[in-house]
Amino acid sequence: MYIVECKNITKTYQQGNVAVQAVRGISLLITKGSFVALAGPSGSGKTTILNIIGGLDSPDAGEVILDGNYLSKMNQSELANLRLHKVGFVFQAYNLIPVLSALENVEYVMLLQGVDTIERQDRAKAILDDVGLEGKYSRRPAELSGGQQQRVAVARALVSNPSIVLADEPTANLDSGTGLALLKIMKEMNEKRNVTFLFSTHDHMVMDHARRLIQIRDGQVADDQGEENTDAS
Amino acid sequence: MAWRNVWRNPRRSILTILAIAFATTTLIFMLSWQFGSYETMINSAVKLHTGHLQIEAKEYRDKKNIRLTVNSPKAVGRVLENTPGVAAYTFRANAFSMVSSEKRTYGALVSGIDPLREASVSSLKDLIRKGSYLSADDTNQAMVGRLLAKNLQVDLGDELVLLGQGRDGSIAATVVEVKGIFSSGQDEFDRQTIHIPLLFFQQVYTMAGTVHNVVVFGESLDHVPQIKRSVKTVLKNQSDMNGLSVLDWTELMPGLIEAIKMDLVSGFVFYIILIIVVAFSILNTFLMAIFERTREFGVLMAIGTTPGRLTKCLLLESASITMLGILVGIVAGSLITWYFQVHGIVISGTSELLRQYGLPERIYPQLSCLSVSIGAGIVSIITLLTALYPSFRVKRLRPVEAMLAV
Amino acid sequence: MYFKLAWRNIWRAPRRTAVILIAVIIGVWSMAFLGALMRGISDQMVRNGIATLTGHIQIHHKGYRSDPVIENNMAKPSVIEKVMRDVLPADALWTSRVRVNAVASNARHSSGLTLVGIHPLSEARISFIGEAISQGRYLKPNDVLGIVIGKVLAEDFETELGKKLVLMSQDKDQEIASRAFRIVGIFTAEMEATEKRFAFVTISAAQEMLGLNKEISEISIKLSSYKEANTVAYGLRSALWSSDYEIHTWQELLPLVTAVLGMYDGFIFLWFLVVFIAMGFGIVNTTLMAVFERMREFGLLKALGMKPWWIVRQVLTESFFLLVIGIIIGNGIGLWTVSALSSNGIDLSSLAKGMEFVGMSHIIYPAFYAKDMITANLVVFVLGLLVSLYPAIKAARFTPLQAMTHT
Repeated sequence: MYIVECKNITKTYQQGNVAVQAVRGISLLITKGSFVALAGPSGSGKTTILNIIGGLDSPDAGEVILDGNYLSKMNQSELANLRLHKVGFVFQAYNLIPVLSALENVEYVMLLQGVDTIERQDRAKAILDDVGLEGKYSRRPAELSGGQQQRVAVARALVSNPSIVLADEPTANLDSGTGLALLKIMKEMNEKRNVTFLFSTHDHMVMDHARRLIQIRDGQVADDQGEENTDAS
Repeated sequence: MAWRNVWRNPRRSILTILAIAFATTTLIFMLSWQFGSYETMINSAVKLHTGHLQIEAKEYRDKKNIRLTVNSPKAVGRVLENTPGVAAYTFRANAFSMVSSEKRTYGALVSGIDPLREASVSSLKDLIRKGSYLSADDTNQAMVGRLLAKNLQVDLGDELVLLGQGRDGSIAATVVEVKGIFSSGQDEFDRQTIHIPLLFFQQVYTMAGTVHNVVVFGESLDHVPQIKRSVKTVLKNQSDMNGLSVLDWTELMPGLIEAIKMDLVSGFVFYIILIIVVAFSILNTFLMAIFERTREFGVLMAIGTTPGRLTKCLLLESASITMLGILVGIVAGSLITWYFQVHGIVISGTSELLRQYGLPERIYPQLSCLSVSIGAGIVSIITLLTALYPSFRVKRLRPVEAMLAV
Repeated sequence: MYFKLAWRNIWRAPRRTAVILIAVIIGVWSMAFLGALMRGISDQMVRNGIATLTGHIQIHHKGYRSDPVIENNMAKPSVIEKVMRDVLPADALWTSRVRVNAVASNARHSSGLTLVGIHPLSEARISFIGEAISQGRYLKPNDVLGIVIGKVLAEDFETELGKKLVLMSQDKDQEIASRAFRIVGIFTAEMEATEKRFAFVTISAAQEMLGLNKEISEISIKLSSYKEANTVAYGLRSALWSSDYEIHTWQELLPLVTAVLGMYDGFIFLWFLVVFIAMGFGIVNTTLMAVFERMREFGLLKALGMKPWWIVRQVLTESFFLLVIGIIIGNGIGLWTVSALSSNGIDLSSLAKGMEFVGMSHIIYPAFYAKDMITANLVVFVLGLLVSLYPAIKAARFTPLQAMTHT
């Protein structure tokens, strides 16, 4: 059972007068519950792939099937709904809403989903506890360290019980120790909740923790190690 | 550099320019409207009632006593003919009398007018609605105000008995025939006035060639002060005329002038409030233009730009936005005003009211250099004042902190 | 949480919010205050008009209004009195008068005026004259020769208390009737014109002079509120169906005042709009700034699956708070200014002649009208939200990618 199927995706950006081919025919199959890293230098097309899989961007050619949904056949509002219920995002720069506390940031996604107040609070607290932020519910983002903010972002991505969490360079802004801790939490969540994680990175230490490592060079898959058999271990 | 900065955020700049332009347009239009209606009001009052200047016996204005006369109107006329700027003049004599028709009696002001001279000075001739204006050789003919005629229940050709007191205290009584009925639209005037030829008036009221007022018209309103000055000097030096006073239209109609002042003052209160609202509306744009670029200023200061230069640059930026807004406002304001100046504006339901102040139903705003420059002037002063505050805040910036700012 | 988010968002840039709030507050204040000022002026005009012998409703003999002579009198006041007892509300006051045009003269002057024969007691409760005497005394019911005239008239005639004044008018038989009265009182009024125009004697003296028995010229009715005039007049008209009478409300009796009221209505609304437009630019610009600054955030929200409509709602909620705060404070200050000024009024005596010219009295008491307040606040609130739609839609249109790559 694949949670993500990418078939021969291409994407070209217009940058001024120059056309930049960011993705040149990538096909991927990602199994449910896997913990996959997209690795490659900056500019290799990792972010574009994540955006296309998350429905934030559309490919010029090719098809993405996310949890059985053909993204090319969905309109903006359906895509928004899909993101709301099936996809969690974690970004490089923490991207929390600065005026809301940690707890409220996590709650907000559920508010959009229409979850009632009490359940919202319970679930948000539980997941913040899971990522190690008990007792810091009411802190605003500015009062949290970088690692803590990123944990809130992970908690927010997970709280809606998505099928997949897409994380674009989640550790890039963190020092190695904190980055490692965050990665451990992500892995823990992956195992505990059986949520698929697909994250991009150019950090070797992070790559080492992935159960499957896909190397991207110049918009193409250069190497794919681990495959399904690593999942079995 | 300032100019390019203005267009870094075109939407914001355009909105700010529009806000300024809106204020300028409103002001130009409203001021033109006010000035236009004042001019109409003054002109119609001057034409109907007072003329630009009146020469009369010193206490006549207050007492209206029939014995307070100008004894040698011809001599005064000669003085006027030799005064530069005088366009026309006429003589009037007035007496309050009982006016009776066959069925009705009312009190009214009987005025003796010189039909030929009066026509060159006042609008009376154009106000005739029925019958005709007096001619030079008419004697016992009268022109009656519309409402007075209605109250007296008389029409053209009917007879009226006038009963009053002559200058010598004798009873003045005569019969006149209604030759014309006039309507000025001002109820007060139309209800109380009756005009007869001056020569006939002088006989009936035993005026012995004297009159009550000499009504003077200058070539324009601007000539009035100068005419007043020279006529005054001449009259003072002539023994038979130094009992006369020369009053200009502002003294003859103090109510009108004060009403205009009041309207101007209240207008300005409205305008100032409007501009203050606009000023606060755009203050944010000016502030933002600076805080957004704090980092940039830090860099500029680090490479040696003095805060004074930055302030100057920012002021230049705000000034160009302001000027653009005002320019757009002047063009739009002038076009709108000009359109209405040609076509006029009718406010439904107010014509009756406007008539009482001598205004026609259709009001024509008067576009003038004055209204445009006052309108644009007030807006630019207040807007530039608004721009000062953020520009001077820049002086307080320190390069290192500024560069750290996001 | 929506509200919490919106509330916190507007305070993210406190200076910016404060500036735009001040714009809204001044705008709302000016609407409230200048509206009240204009209403104060027009109220005063209505009050003056009504007190200057108009009342809320008048009854005349048919034709009196267009031909106000003594023949057009009401010969049987008792019939009307009976009807009034039935139709008028219990708290209504009324009085009857004899009213004719007359010529007043003394040794030095003569001039036209309106001679009013009144019942001193009932008149005092209805029109201004009861409290207007500045010298001498008011009329007594049994005064036969006493007359009360205005201060300006007395000055014009160079006369004073105790002196004689001869009045001439047409009597019932169209003959000139004249009678000498003695000045017992001098009154002052808001308007010079009023002081020049009216002279008061007792109704019996007037009837005697004009050769009348019980005939009267007019009945003036004062109700507890001028708003009842139309309904009561309708009641009177149906009860007094005889075509011998005409019944007019103050709106019909004072057409100029009515026209001024209409003009003010239009002017006040126009002012609301103009001020609003001035504020509108600020609201749009400020909201736009707030939105563009937070582009990344909106991008993020969209990436999280927020639908465009939710973003519109979010931005509008922020404007809503801004507007509500501005409106509350603006109205508050407006109410405060008006109540502070309405006890003593704004004295414009220095412009008294100009005020007289346009028919206003020289002290203005600002008056709040709920109708104006509602209109003003609705204009600000509804149009305020409407113009905020532009930035809101702008925000909703950011695509997540654009927004997040925007720095």
